[in-house]
Amino acid sequence: MNKDLEHKFVTELQDNQNIVHKVCTLYTNDRDSHNDLFQEITIQLWKAYPKFRGDAKFSTWMYRVALNTAITLYRKRKRRIDTADYESIIFRIKAEEYDETEELQLKLMYKAVKQLNDVDKALVFLYLEDKNYAEISETLGITEVNARVKMNRIKTKLRTILNP
Amino acid sequence: MTDELELLKRDWQKKEFDVPKLSYEEIHKMIWKKSSSIVKWILIISILEFTVPHLLYLLPSMREGMEIYDKIGISKYLLILSGFTYLIAFYFIFQFYKRFKEISVLDNSKNLMKKIIKTRKTVKHYVIFSLSMIMVTIIMMVIGVYLNDNIILAFPELKDSLENISQEKLKITIMLSIGIFGIVLTLAMGGIYFLLYGLLLRKLKQNYSELRHLAV
Repeated sequence: MNKDLEHKFVTELQDNQNIVHKVCTLYTNDRDSHNDLFQEITIQLWKAYPKFRGDAKFSTWMYRVALNTAITLYRKRKRRIDTADYESIIFRIKAEEYDETEELQLKLMYKAVKQLNDVDKALVFLYLEDKNYAEISETLGITEVNARVKMNRIKTKLRTILNP
Repeated sequence: MTDELELLKRDWQKKEFDVPKLSYEEIHKMIWKKSSSIVKWILIISILEFTVPHLLYLLPSMREGMEIYDKIGISKYLLILSGFTYLIAFYFIFQFYKRFKEISVLDNSKNLMKKIIKTRKTVKHYVIFSLSMIMVTIIMMVIGVYLNDNIILAFPELKDSLENISQEKLKITIMLSIGIFGIVLTLAMGGIYFLLYGLLLRKLKQNYSELRHLAV
């Protein structure tokens, strides 16, 4: 029984690991922290897995646990920050798919998003994952109106970061 | 900005992040690793806070130290006080356990943070209570010394060297040293405690107030 559960969990997480990687990318600045956070999210997912019922999609269920771990449970360890190296790998944009202006624009946008605070990042993350405001508000525990207002403020913040 | 965010969204969804994909074995290994979440740390620190002061009494030197209470004639009152302390401590442990059980990663973020802060508050109240009990004990000792008519008897080993000092002077010296020791001890313990938790929960508190103060 337990072995079955383990196998099912690991397989599902392996298939959906991109979501966790995206969260880690937003919330950490170097490869070691990325792996650290990935591990903590995995542990939290596994601990909560017995409560996961098949009525929701596994990926949907993951968002909440992953974000909660990133903004609430995870303790950043003190590390030498090696941002430049890390970002050049993570945010490498395939050149052939974009024209140069777009590529530059995207790079700047990613940089700006990384400067937001934890909660703002969570909103942007859910927005980028195409979640609607009902889902965003439910995940974070705020009202839908607040989520919209907050999102508008974030857009203003990003604009200020990009055009100081 | 909306356009740029839309552009980002398109890119984001297309993106296979350029990090090494983890294998089945790697993920499988991870699920048995120990969590280092702040909830776990709160649990560990709290258990220490509940147990360490009581373990101290098991040390022989501490037990010998207890004899002093007998000598200055306050042990009866201290016994009543410690009975009361244990009762309150059990109440706090029960409360803590109840709150701790309520913490779930499946809750929404705001509730999760709220519950962690509430759990921590239980421990905070316990620590404030413990520190006040130390202060009460110290005050009782000071009063005990004050009311004692033959304080030299409490320190037989120092009898010879104390003979030249007047009873009055000796009393004041002892009362002062107990008082100062008590205040320093309480401040140090309180300081360590609040520093520890302050550091541990700084990020969480920031994020919580960010979610709470969404004035429209």
